[in-house]
Amino acid sequence: MVVSKMNKDAQMRAAINQKLIETGERERLKELLRAKLIECGWKDQLKAHCKEVIKEKGLEHVTVDDLVAEITPKGRALVPDSVKKELLQRIRTFLAQHASL
Amino acid sequence: MKMEDMSLSGLDNSKLEAIAQELYADLVEDSCLGFCFEVHRAVKCGYFFLDDTDPDSMKDFEIVDQPGLDIFGQVFNQWKSKECVCPNCSRSIAASRFAPHLEKCLGMGRNSSRIANRRIANSNNMNKSESDQEDNDDINDNDWSYGSEKKAKKRKSDKLWYLPFQNPNSPRRSKSLKHKNGELSNSDPFKYNNSTGISYETLGPEELRSLLTTQCGVISEHTKKMCTRSLRCPQHTDEQRRTVRIYFLGPSAVLPEVESSLDNDSFDMTDSQALISRLQWDGSSDLSPSDSGSSKTSENQGWGLGTNSSESRKTKKKKSHLSLVGTASGLGSNKKKKPKPPAPPTPSIYDDIN
Repeated sequence: MVVSKMNKDAQMRAAINQKLIETGERERLKELLRAKLIECGWKDQLKAHCKEVIKEKGLEHVTVDDLVAEITPKGRALVPDSVKKELLQRIRTFLAQHASL
Repeated sequence: MKMEDMSLSGLDNSKLEAIAQELYADLVEDSCLGFCFEVHRAVKCGYFFLDDTDPDSMKDFEIVDQPGLDIFGQVFNQWKSKECVCPNCSRSIAASRFAPHLEKCLGMGRNSSRIANRRIANSNNMNKSESDQEDNDDINDNDWSYGSEKKAKKRKSDKLWYLPFQNPNSPRRSKSLKHKNGELSNSDPFKYNNSTGISYETLGPEELRSLLTTQCGVISEHTKKMCTRSLRCPQHTDEQRRTVRIYFLGPSAVLPEVESSLDNDSFDMTDSQALISRLQWDGSSDLSPSDSGSSKTSENQGWGLGTNSSESRKTKKKKSHLSLVGTASGLGSNKKKKPKPPAPPTPSIYDDIN
């Protein structure tokens, strides 16, 4: 029963993701987020942080995994609230539209 | 397919919210991952630190944000207050008005300003010459020029010729002022007033001869023009006059007119008598008027033929040496009006004019 529910949950997420991609909404959201993050200076802040990390590790020894490990938590934290709210609002609207189906 | 069956309507709000958060985290992570790829690529390609500059130079190129300055820290309207000095009138004019001013000042376009300037300058000269009439400058300078644009100069000499005899405000004077340079022809009785010259190259031999019998004719070193004043023009010496006549008319030509005007019935050929007459003449010359050129020439023709030229020249020379005062005016008139020297001048002048 639990397994079936879990399965059902996963199925649902997969279905939603599918829908997001199919309608192109995911691309639109990604583009919106990118623009907003550049606009509010998130990228510059993260770049400065990157420089520190890279200088620490040495230019030759930088790997993508290191960067992702260092950057992602910072990136998540640095996203401004306004951007986060706007994005969530867009997602909810999308879900509501497709939940009614 | 299946999604439609288990449609989202069955999910409660908290579940939807969780899914939304999850999707958001996904998106942010995507962006972060994209950014990380970007940075990694930049590092490996070596252009990640290219836009790095040291803080000092960053400070130099900082954007200035102050009132009155542009972003480079310069005063942006500094040229508004700039002034240029006009090379013509040496006034300082606002830079924005400089071009229009030059146009007017240099007299391009319409000549009004240049003409006005000249008029002002002329009026100034006139005033000046009226105030210092005793200024003898132009008597002594040989720089007179043909068609002397300086009317003031002409007027000055005018005045000097007539000064002893005439009120500056007399009608005759004002009339002469109205003459323009070119209007006075060579036959004009007052041509010696007009300190102009004529170019001898353009004259034929007859003209030259007649000219040299009536006028000074000395060629100015400066303008290469002949002096058209009277034969006793004070600017030039008899020596110069003789040289010119010898040059043009040959060595046989002397100064008949000078001789004749000197040697008249009032004295004979002896030196002592000549001296006496000269002294008499000196005494009266200041007061007697200068004779007009035309009357003089007639005299010359009347008396000048039979006289001893060498003798008379001697006396004339002596005269020019001895008499410092009297050379300027009226040798010819002297002999005629000896009996009553001071009175007659003015009427005679009016006769000439009218």
